[in-house]
Amino acid sequence: MSVIMSEEIEEIPLAASETSYSDTERNDIFNREFMPHINSMYNFAFRLTMDEDDANDLVQDTYLKAFRFISSFERGTNAKAWLFRILKNSFINDYRKRSKEPSKVDYQEVETTYNSEEAAEVDHTTDLRVETVQDMIGDEVATALNSLPVDFRTVIILCDIEGFTYEEMAKILDIPIGTVRSRLHRARNLLKDKLRTYAASMGYDTDEE
Amino acid sequence: MQSSPSATENTKYQKEYCEHHAECLKKIQAVLDGGATEDEKDHFRKNMDHCLHCIKMYHLEKCVKESLQSKIDKRLCPDNLVATIKAKLNI
Repeated sequence: MSVIMSEEIEEIPLAASETSYSDTERNDIFNREFMPHINSMYNFAFRLTMDEDDANDLVQDTYLKAFRFISSFERGTNAKAWLFRILKNSFINDYRKRSKEPSKVDYQEVETTYNSEEAAEVDHTTDLRVETVQDMIGDEVATALNSLPVDFRTVIILCDIEGFTYEEMAKILDIPIGTVRSRLHRARNLLKDKLRTYAASMGYDTDEE
Repeated sequence: MQSSPSATENTKYQKEYCEHHAECLKKIQAVLDGGATEDEKDHFRKNMDHCLHCIKMYHLEKCVKESLQSKIDKRLCPDNLVATIKAKLNI
């Protein structure tokens, strides 16, 4: 697979119009609308970078950018999605290039590969049991999630861990909702493959009834 | 609108294998994510009445989603990072 990447991504979501806030208003927005999401932001940063120091830097950079460009944020709108988008773009522009993760995959290439195989899509229900997944501990599920390419890991984190809607994810990732859905579908199939392989290697009961 | 079908409580299931499982799986995921269209919800409801294969897929998808939500540790932002950010911004 080819190594990513292309041009820098516009990091700050563009607003229809910028708002001129007073210093008091800026501080108020920052404290009341941005800071409540810092734990979710840190968790997202950690799951993307898989490194505490990088997560620290990424969250700090994101919050400093958010404050600097606060006039692009419309008060009372979805601050969490706005912040997540900045963090995701900062990750792509600044961290992904020097990430410790060895291989970066091209979204389009992976999706094309999976599309070409869709006609013969593996049936994941026949060899991974509900009981097996229920028996797994958090570290085992996390290991499977962490082993996914970052682009697939991202959609699962946003949807299943952070609970964003498809519409919010489309805005955060700057892709159409249809692409969100198809990427999620493929990410989950990959995740189930990882869980199934892990379960088999650990001697968990598989569905050989 | 999520119903919670049970394969053991009902005897009217007939299909053991779903020839449309890939498409059905996408609809099941959309329902669980709360992002299904009315048509997808309709399709889901109908299938849950007669397709054992789809019911199995539903339970597996639900279980994996719940495991991701509940079993993976949430990393909390260190207090000193919050303090550092506020200090840099003088707020």
